[in-house]
Amino acid sequence: MNYAALSLEQTPPLSVPLRFFLTAPLFVVAAGLFLIVYGQDALLNRWTPWTLALTHLMTLGFLALVMVGAVQQLLPVLMGASVSRPGLTSGVLHGLLTLGTVALVSGLASGSAPAMVTAAILLGGGFGLFITVAGWGLWRARSGHFTRTAMMLSLLALTVAVAFGVNQSAGYAGALPLFREYTDVHLGLGLLGWVGLLIIGVAYQVVPMFQITPDYPRWLMRGLTPVLFLALIGWALAHSVPAWSAWTGTLFGAVLAIGFSGFAVTTLWLQHQRRRRLPDVTLDFWRVAMASLLAAVLVWVWGRVSGAVPELLLGVLFVMGFAQSAVNGMLYKIGPFLVWLHLNNRRQTEGRPQTGIPNMKQIIPERSMRYQFRLQVGALAAVIAALALPVLARPAGILVTLSALLLAGNLSLAYKTYRTHA
Amino acid sequence: MNARERLLDVSELEPPEPLELTLESATRLSAGEYLRMLHRRFPCLLFDNLDKQGYGHLIRSGRETACEVFIWRRDDAMAAEAAHAAAKGLSEWRE
Repeated sequence: MNYAALSLEQTPPLSVPLRFFLTAPLFVVAAGLFLIVYGQDALLNRWTPWTLALTHLMTLGFLALVMVGAVQQLLPVLMGASVSRPGLTSGVLHGLLTLGTVALVSGLASGSAPAMVTAAILLGGGFGLFITVAGWGLWRARSGHFTRTAMMLSLLALTVAVAFGVNQSAGYAGALPLFREYTDVHLGLGLLGWVGLLIIGVAYQVVPMFQITPDYPRWLMRGLTPVLFLALIGWALAHSVPAWSAWTGTLFGAVLAIGFSGFAVTTLWLQHQRRRRLPDVTLDFWRVAMASLLAAVLVWVWGRVSGAVPELLLGVLFVMGFAQSAVNGMLYKIGPFLVWLHLNNRRQTEGRPQTGIPNMKQIIPERSMRYQFRLQVGALAAVIAALALPVLARPAGILVTLSALLLAGNLSLAYKTYRTHA
Repeated sequence: MNARERLLDVSELEPPEPLELTLESATRLSAGEYLRMLHRRFPCLLFDNLDKQGYGHLIRSGRETACEVFIWRRDDAMAAEAAHAAAKGLSEWRE
């Protein structure tokens, strides 16, 4: 009887997730610099080349990279599903996704057709490999936890989002027929499906584990991600099939709004009930994330009622406020924990005494994480303000850059600690 | 000599403190002693560490916390017997 016990050998090498975690903040630095250089032009509307480039620096460069790295770690550790040749797979994925993102962003910003085709090939290949590896791992996973369902649905959403993304990228360059009318489906499935469902599924495990809260209610864990996924498919069909009336889209949109706000309210409630009431920067990042998610839902509802959804504000609240904050906060738990785990495993397998391993708070100092949290909240507020007061776009870019540089520095510190003690 | 129980409640600690404290407490077990560890979650990383360091263990669903783990030195038959006796009243662990 093995339960979900893990052998030390099952843990993938530290380089597998860490190369993604260390690279991801650099794309946010690039996003900040982009905002400094292009200023208000990058925040005019969602269709300008600079806005599209900026958006993909955040969604592919930061969110997708961290999430792809984390899934490779979570598959064996939480799901009991090993990835074969993890080092090689991770290296290939990292190369394809980082180079693909650079190609896409330069293609979007410059209008270069060869860059867009290159991006379609690299990102299509990278995500295709990731979906195959992660899908196969999840299929064989021993865990019956609801996180597995959430991850599988999230991967399905990613598959559709990538398919439309590749079409748009290659279509933009004239290499394929372009279905521009499916942009919202690409965006909806990428953000609400891949990003949203994965964050929810991972939260089921990591919020109670690292924030010492009670578990999410079982009925919520069982039902939420399937309902959200079905609503998302309904919403996507309502956007794609002309015969479906507009109210069908609104109906599915309402289900999504209720589901995501239910998740946010439950998470805040669980955090309120936590047993250990010590200051914790991850907790604060998650509070900002949940408040932003609720704000995004309110903005969407207000937009539907008033007849004009403020798309950029909605995007900033979801991508930067919700997703980036949640991922940033969790990096501060997962990064130090992995460093500790690998130091412990090394000593164990080499038969060395398990003394002298730094504790979590020594791996990244709390004060440094707290500074970055403040910078990140400032950056979020400044970007939102810049949507109304364009003159603030460049100062917002400075804050985004500084926050990302400090995040990169803090995560590098974790790696340095590992090198020192290994 | 009577076997003795050492109780360790890690249910309000954040990873990796439960693992650290449990392994550290296990090294302090004297002859005839077993460790009864209470946790709110299934400590999936603990067991391979225990195996490699020469400890036996039993996993049970707890009464006050979700999971209880009984740990003894593998060469300590009296502690093993006492741990099994103490675990008897608890049901098998189910995820």
